[in-house]
Order: sequence, then C-alpha cells, then structure tokens
Amino acid sequence: MAHAATADAHDHSPHAHHEQSRLVKYLWSTDHKVIAMQYLFTGMFMALVGGVMAYAFRMQDAFPGSSIPGFGVVAPGEYNSLVTMHGSIMIFWVAMPVLIAAFGNFLIPLMIGADDMVFPRINRLSYQVFLLSVIVILASLFVPGGAFGGAWTAYPPLSAQAQFNQTGPGASMWVIAVALEFVAFLLGGINFIVTLMNARAPGMKAFDIPLVCWMIVIASILFMLSVGPLIAGAGMLLFDQLVGTAFFDPARGGDPVLWQHLFWFFGHPEVYVVLLPAVGFVIEIVAVFARKKVFGYKTLLYTTVAIGVLSFFVWAHHQFVAGIDPRMANIFTITTLLISIPVAELILVIIATLYGGSIRLTVPMLWALAFVFEFMIGGVTGIYLGASGADVYLHDTFFVLAHFHYTFFPIAIIGNFAAFTFWFPKMFGKMLDERLGKIHFWGTIVTFNAIFIPLFFLGLKGEHRRVYSHLNFPELAGMQPLRVFATAALVVMLLFQLVFLYNLWKTFRKGPAAGKNPWQANTLEWTTTSPPPHGNWPADQMPKVYRGPYEYGHPDRAEDYWPQNLPPQSA
Amino acid sequence: MSHRPMATDRSATGIPTGRLAVWWVLASEIVIFGGLLASYLMHRLGHPEWANATAVTNTWIGAFNTLVLLSSSFTAVLGHQAAEKGDGRQAARYLYMTMGGAATFILVKTYEWGHEIAAGYTITSNGFWSFYYTAAGLHALHVIAGAIIMGIVARDAARGRNLHRVELIGIYWHFVDVVWIFLFPLLYIAK
Amino acid sequence: MAASHHPNYKKIYLTLVILLAISVAGPFIGIKWVTIITAFGIAFVKANMVIQNFMHLKWERRIAKYVLAASGALLLLFYYGVAPDVQAHRGQHWVNDDALAATARGIPAPHGSEGGEAAHDEPSGGGSDGSPAAPAAAAAAAAESTAAPNAFNARAAFAANCSPCHGTGGRGDGVVAAALNPRPANFADPAFWRSRTDAVLIRTIQGGGAAVGKSASMPAWSSLLSEAQAADMVAYLKTLSH
Repeated sequence: MAHAATADAHDHSPHAHHEQSRLVKYLWSTDHKVIAMQYLFTGMFMALVGGVMAYAFRMQDAFPGSSIPGFGVVAPGEYNSLVTMHGSIMIFWVAMPVLIAAFGNFLIPLMIGADDMVFPRINRLSYQVFLLSVIVILASLFVPGGAFGGAWTAYPPLSAQAQFNQTGPGASMWVIAVALEFVAFLLGGINFIVTLMNARAPGMKAFDIPLVCWMIVIASILFMLSVGPLIAGAGMLLFDQLVGTAFFDPARGGDPVLWQHLFWFFGHPEVYVVLLPAVGFVIEIVAVFARKKVFGYKTLLYTTVAIGVLSFFVWAHHQFVAGIDPRMANIFTITTLLISIPVAELILVIIATLYGGSIRLTVPMLWALAFVFEFMIGGVTGIYLGASGADVYLHDTFFVLAHFHYTFFPIAIIGNFAAFTFWFPKMFGKMLDERLGKIHFWGTIVTFNAIFIPLFFLGLKGEHRRVYSHLNFPELAGMQPLRVFATAALVVMLLFQLVFLYNLWKTFRKGPAAGKNPWQANTLEWTTTSPPPHGNWPADQMPKVYRGPYEYGHPDRAEDYWPQNLPPQSA
Repeated sequence: MSHRPMATDRSATGIPTGRLAVWWVLASEIVIFGGLLASYLMHRLGHPEWANATAVTNTWIGAFNTLVLLSSSFTAVLGHQAAEKGDGRQAARYLYMTMGGAATFILVKTYEWGHEIAAGYTITSNGFWSFYYTAAGLHALHVIAGAIIMGIVARDAARGRNLHRVELIGIYWHFVDVVWIFLFPLLYIAK
Repeated sequence: MAASHHPNYKKIYLTLVILLAISVAGPFIGIKWVTIITAFGIAFVKANMVIQNFMHLKWERRIAKYVLAASGALLLLFYYGVAPDVQAHRGQHWVNDDALAATARGIPAPHGSEGGEAAHDEPSGGGSDGSPAAPAAAAAAAAESTAAPNAFNARAAFAANCSPCHGTGGRGDGVVAAALNPRPANFADPAFWRSRTDAVLIRTIQGGGAAVGKSASMPAWSSLLSEAQAADMVAYLKTLSH
C-alpha cells in the first residue's frame, strides 16, 4: 500500500533523510501521495458506514417494524437519523474526500510534473482537520438521542430545536462536523488551485494540462466561492441550537427561509463540485482506452467554466414549494433548464471522443462508459424537476430521490471505481485482476439500476421521502413488492462489493507488477515508477513538457501514443 | 522531511505562490463575511423596528476602534516596506505595533461588550443583537487569529527569515481592516 | 515581486482618518441620505483605498483582481437572490405573517431614552429619521413614544398590515383596493365615524368583516392583535380623520 511509496522514497530519493518511524511516515507525512491515501481509505471506510445505513433503512422500508439482520429493530427516530446520516456521510465524507481530496492530491502534482503540492504542511493540516470532522460525526452516533435526525438539509426550526428533532447533542455535533469538513476542504482547495496555477512543469502551457486537473481545480474554486454563506449560516444555526438566538425562529423575528437560501446557495454548486472531478476521470479514461484525442479540449474547458458560473444561478429550484416568491421560481426554472445544455455538451463531447476510436474494454473503461449511460438518465430526469410546475407534485417524492441517486451514484461510486481501477497500478505498483473487476462491475451496475428504477415509479405515484413506513398510506401500500425488490437488489449489490474487496486483498498479496505505464498513456504520472518515489522524480530528472496530453494516434508517430515529456524528435 | 518542494518556488502566473494563496483565502473570506452581513442587511432593512436596539451601540467606541484598525493597517504596510528593503528587525517592530493595535481593539471591544451585556443586551435579546455579536465576534476571532500568526511571522522576520511573509500577513490584516470598515457603518452609524 | 511600488502611505493614512471623521459626523446633520452617503459611500472609498494601496492590488496581476471581483459579484448575486424572500415580507401571493407581527410588535425603546426617537413606522428602507407626517399623526407618535416601553405601535402595525388595502393615509385607496368590492373603509371620512361605535370597530378588527356582517375581504386579526391593541388601533385610526 502506501508503505511501498515511502519505502521506495527511502531508497531513491535525493531528499532521503534519517530513517522515519512508521508513525511519522504514515500519520505525519507531508507527501501528497500519502495524504491522498489517507483521504482515500478514510473515504472508503465511510462509504461502508453509509452503505450499512442504507441497508438498515431500506430493510425497514421493505419490512416495516421487523428486526433487521445485523441491526435490530429500527425505531422511527432512528430511521430519521439513518436517513440523515446516510446523506450527509455520502456527500461530505465519501464523495468529496475521495473524488477531490484523494485523487486531487495524488494526481495534480504528478500530472503537472511537480514534486509535491506547493503547501505540503497545509496539506497535512487539511487531512488532520478532516479526520477530526470524521471523529466528530462518528461520535455523534453514540451520544444521547443518537445522530442528528433532521435530514442532511437541516432545515430549521426542526434542526434548531431539540424538542422537535429529538437529537439535540447529535444536531450540534453534526453542524460542527460539517463546519470542520468545510475548513478542511478550504485548506485543501487553496493548495490545489495555487499548485495548478503556478507549479506546472516547464513547457506545460495552460491547454496542455490534463482535463482532470482543470476539473478538480474548477471544482475547488466553485466550492470555495459557494461555501461562505453556509459557513455563516452554520454558525447561526449552532447559536440557535446552543445559545438560544432566533436567527431562524419565526416566532421571534427570524426567518427559516434564510437558512434554506444559505444552504442551497452552496448546495447546488456542491453537486457540480462533485460532478466535475468524476467527469474528469471519465475523460482521461476514455481518451486512453479509445486511443484517441479528446474531441474538444477547449470546448470541454469552456463548457465546464460555463457550468460553474451557471451553477450559482439555479439554487432555488430546491425551494420551489418552500414558499419562495413565484416570480423567483420563474427565474430559477429558466436557469435550471438552461444548465442542462452545457452538461449535455460534456456528455456529447465524451461520446464524440469514443466515436471512431480503437476501444479497449478494460475495467476502467467499463466504469467510464457506465458513468455516461447512468448519468444521462439522472440528468434527463432532472429536467422534470427543474420545471417548477411539475416539481409541485414531484418535490420530496421518491422521484427526486431516484433522480439524484442516478446522478450521485455515477459521480461518487462509478466515478470512484473508474478512477481507482485506472490509477491503482500507479498508486500501488500492481495490476488488479481484470476478471474479478468485470464481475464486480456488472454486479454493481445491474443491481444499481434494479434498486432505483422502481423508485421512479414509486415517486410518480406520490410516495414521499423520509417516511418511516409507507404501509401507513393505504393508496401506496399496494406497491410494497417494489420496495422489497429494490431492497433485495441493494443487499445483492452490497454482497458484490465483497468481490472488489477480495480483488484488493488478492492483488496486494501477490498481484502482478504493473510497470511504469501499463495502459500506454500520455500523461506525466505514467513516466515515473509505480508507485512514485518521494519527490515523484529524481530531482535532476523533473519532466519537461513538449505537447498536449491527448496525442493518441498522431500521424507523425510510430506508436499510437506520444507521452507529453518526450522531445519532438521522438516521433 | 518537511523540506520545501520545488513546486513552491515555481510561478507560472507571475505571482509568488504564497501571495496567490492569500488572494484565494480572501476570496473565500469575502463570501463568508459577506454572507453573514448580507443576511444581517436583509433583516435590518425588513425590520425597521430594530432601530430601538441599534440606537444603543456607542458610535464613539466604534469610531475609536476604527481608528485603531486603520492605524494598525498603516503600521502593517510600513512593515512590508521595511521587509522589502531587507530590514527584518524594523519589519518585526512594525508588526509588533500592529499587534498592539489588535490588542487595543480587543480590549476596547471587551469593555464595550461588557457594558452592553451588563445593561441586559445579550446575544439572545433580539435579532439585532444576535447579528451584532455574531458578526463582530466572527471579526474579532479573525483579529485574534491574525495577530497570532503575525507574531510568528514577526519573530521569524526579526531573525531575517521568511521576510516575504510580512507582506502576506499584511494583506490578510488589511482585509480584516476592510471588513471592519463595513461593519462600522452597519452597526454604528447608519443603523 | 510586483510591490516595489510604494505610494505615500502616510498621506493615504491621513486621508483615511479624515474620511472616518466625516463618516462619524454624518448622522449629526440629520438628513437620511447624507448619512447613508457618508456612512456607506465613504466605507466603499476607504475600503478601496486600503485594497488598492495597502494591499497593493493596484500593482498586482490581473488574475488576483478577477478572483476578488468574482467573489464580490457572487455576494451581490446572493443578496439579490435571497432578499426578495427574506427582506420583503410580502410578495406575489404570499405574506410573511410572523415577520409582519414582529414588525408590529416593535422593540421596546432602551431604558433612559423614552421620549427620544420614536420607533419607525415605515415598512421598508430603514433610515434613522421618520418621514414628515400629518401633525396629528406625529403627535400620536410622540404620545406613543412617551408611553410605557412595551407600548403597541399602532402606526407601524397599520403601515405594515392595513395600508395595502386601506392606503397609507387610511383613505381606502391602498394598492390592493382597486380589486376589492366593496372598497375598503375610508377612515378620513367623517361619515364612517358617525356610523360605527368603537366596540364594533374592535370586533371588526379582531373577527374580520364577517364577524360584523360586512365583507369577508376584511380579515380577522385576532392572531396578531390583542383586544387592548385593537383598541389602540382604533384610537390611531381616529387620528387619520383629522
């Protein structure tokens, strides 16, 4: 694992110092690759926690009131906590750390030819603050009342008053954990942005930067610029909870709608914050395994910037039925429908890249293709929700839930598996088993669709979210078989993850060595050893860049790929 | 092990990495403070009856504190000038003066808040006071944090180390000053 | 480094101090618009001077200016996107009863300043001075401000809740009045006062038009006003007929 990286570092690095104890090497390192591993494994662990929570509340929904194997009976208050924690954990402690912090940390210095991030100690600090947030949110599961149960959106007065949400200590710990996580990502984001802007290898012009790096940095910018009002709001909510202020208490002159605006002004750009890195992974993988130049580098880049800007103008589509002014609803409907255009553009450019390519269906490529397919379903169903008229009926139903799982699951799970299986050889120096990878892939994708397609139909029938037992609604009770089916599919999906874990274990034990560039790719990370040493390249062999990152199938070159660091005479 | 990577000294944009980072920190702080102050402004404009509460804040204390912060910004930028000339000890002296300004600001604020709380105007008294203490409190936390970091930078500068950081902490300090430049009229003058 | 440019810092500092003095002096002139300009206009000028000269943004590369401008623009977007819901207390097909009630309840004047500034009666654009009003209404306002600190501010409550139909002067000519049939009552009309007792009016306010056999367009306000407050309101309405 990570120990291979620093073991090599000790042997080859010109910066080799005294022998480091294991503790220092793993917990106190400033090496961006070690920090990436820390984020990656923490995120994967939290994914298991969030997945188990989903198992528990889905079982409750399918078999209300029964004792769930491995969990016991789910009480109504517990159901609220499970649903709240599942959402919060998956977004803040799985999607963001793995997509942005882990892969951003690992890839950016390598792909731009730098020896580390520009602020290694701030990088270490960001993980430590993040770890603190993990500890706080996990600890909240064990306090009196249990974890916060007011939904991940934490609307006051429910979230502000313990008498309503029944999880007083948990509610405040949730706010604190989220605030800490925000601080960690602000620190990390500054590192990514400044590193990309300043620390590129000589010869690497702006349009020679691999698109995934742009994506991660643009995502960091979106995060930094949108999270501010919510940080202010989190402070206000915490004061309402603990000190007795009335920022959001209508009876005493406050306004709960203000919280909604503060939350969603961040919450909507946030979904693009997690989307962009996933799209970046897909682009890199598709270029490599179609052996073809990306169809429109600048198009993708400018479209992404447009998405970033537009994402700030759509937030109130989450509040169509919250009592906002209908004239605002008009405006936000238009902007929400508009933003589907550049996002569709991204997908179309990816498809155009595939067209005419020499496709190699490796496991990473399968995940990347699945992303495109599944995300399109998510995107298209979002159009119904963006139209405020339709949203009046669909808001808070399972239709919304299925829509955002068809976007979030491709982003957080498919995108992560794509990136993980693609860069695993570079990170750990070994090749994963392709056959096990394909079994895991198909098992996950088929069950994913089996879980969420029924939920679209349940939503259209009017089934609401965050409800302890739908058997309480006679007109919906007849659809219980669909709920059971979806839950059974979830159980099967969780079981298929064992295949992935087995693949990992088997590979770490005795998987085949990977070599420097097993996929025959162009970008700079593939020019160094697998895994890379401390400092990424020997100090006197830092790469120089002569061309863009996607020169596949170039007519002047005998091979079908042309790494960025090879001088022009190497045709 | 915590050596300075080559990456830190590269500069494709022409701005040194440290200064570039400070601009991004300020951008995020603008939206944090801005979000809080925008929320306050919306409430204040929608609740004209808060005028009774806002009448209590002491304009003279607020003005004095504004003067203190302006002066501390002045000494901070003089410190930068000295650091550029390579005079670390003089830069450190100016930074210590700035920290003195910070301490004065906090002391005056403590006195001011002490009086207001004793008179019964606490954070839960009504909406105005909630915002007043939250906004000024968040600002005060930034003053304290800035002063601490400034102390570390000054100590290094006095020994001739990392003089470029004098400018960076200075930029942050001026931002803290600018936030107060807006808080002052909001909470004390055009109330 | 870009900042080998050093303007005359002492001159800038002195200018800042002078601007500070002007902004402190502004409210003493007593004109609302002057106060706003001296307070906020000068704040912008001072901030700009600090940013350009002390932070050296004037000599910095453009990218830094774009970054700061972007965050400033987003702040404006946030304000203009949220204010229609939070700052305004009514809009197209909605009314924020709680906020209006809070406005009507008012906040007691601080101890030791009774008889000083009256609470505001304008529902929007809070300045620091009341607008010119009919002498009788001003007298009524003065009377209220010398009353007990928790006195119900009928003038503010009327402006916030009643004026949309009854008009700011109570003449039955509010913005909504054109759509109502019958028209809202005109409190300036002596004939109105001859035809109703105080008790009937209090009941109308509390129970709505339907409670007294009149148009149900007049809503019931008992959730907002106590009977004593309704009586205060009737007293205020009488002042509108002068």
